[in-house]
Amino acid sequence: MNCPIEDRHPEILVAYAAGELAAETTRALETHVAGCAACRPVAAGHIAVWKALDAWDAPPVSPDFDRRLYRRIDEDARLSWWERLVRPFRLMPLRQALPLTASAGLLLMAGLLLHNPGVVAPAAAEREAVRAQQVENTLDDLDLLRQFGAADSAENGHTGAL
Amino acid sequence: MLFDFSWRTHPGFRLAILLALAVAASAESQPEQEKPAAQAQPADNAIERWNRMSPEERERELAKLPPERARLIRQRLWQYNHMKPEERQALLQRYQAFSELPPDKQEIVRARLREFEQLPKERRQAVHGEVELLRLMTEGQRKAHMNGEEFRNRFSVPEQRIIKDVFQYIPN
Repeated sequence: MNCPIEDRHPEILVAYAAGELAAETTRALETHVAGCAACRPVAAGHIAVWKALDAWDAPPVSPDFDRRLYRRIDEDARLSWWERLVRPFRLMPLRQALPLTASAGLLLMAGLLLHNPGVVAPAAAEREAVRAQQVENTLDDLDLLRQFGAADSAENGHTGAL
Repeated sequence: MLFDFSWRTHPGFRLAILLALAVAASAESQPEQEKPAAQAQPADNAIERWNRMSPEERERELAKLPPERARLIRQRLWQYNHMKPEERQALLQRYQAFSELPPDKQEIVRARLREFEQLPKERRQAVHGEVELLRLMTEGQRKAHMNGEEFRNRFSVPEQRIIKDVFQYIPN
């Protein structure tokens, strides 16, 4: 399997962490992630986020929730433009704060990448494990190209294969 | 229930994740735009990346293959790593052009080079010499030459196909 980070398809890792991939793709990705220094921390990070969110239990909704909600909607309709403007900055309940905090954390991670792109990507790419099969395929191609280039230069028209 | 939702499907959170990924992706692509010289550097092939892996990592990978196949790969890698620098450089230039081709074109080149390998020695030399000759010509000269009687008489149809495709896809 190709490296999702190198191929610029990190959303595959998000889908993997969310458990949305088919079993076969999951197995292939797990094999890749186990040997890929670039993918491993990204996948582990996403899995950790999902686990933390799954572990959080939403409090039960109170019996008079609907009544209070409609009252709030009515109140909102009576707010001045200034009150509507500052409203999002008031202290929010945990239900809204948690996903926003998690999202902000992800954006912060992206921001850090933005400031240090050269540190993360090349180092990770350099450490990427190359499959022996890839090396063998490249050797086969190099061999074909080498034989063509050596047609005139070699004494007998053939050089030793790579 | 009015507020029963799953984190996995919550559209706001998904949007934030995708936004973060988009920012990260643009961060990765940014240095390439800022450094055109660096972008012009050919990408490392699998062997160069393999050479940068630790000996333990390489052996771990080879251990997944049958011993005879692993031995052959080791031997071929040794030959590649001990090529004369100028010979290796020329080969890498050709490989770079080859690896930038779309997969279907790469398959065409592989097929032609395998056909080339099957030719007798003197025909290989004639075909190779013809490709080298075409490289020295201008486009107009090349067209006239390839449509000429001499070219058609001197090379069989499969040989003409090898010459045309190898010249077209591996111009250096």
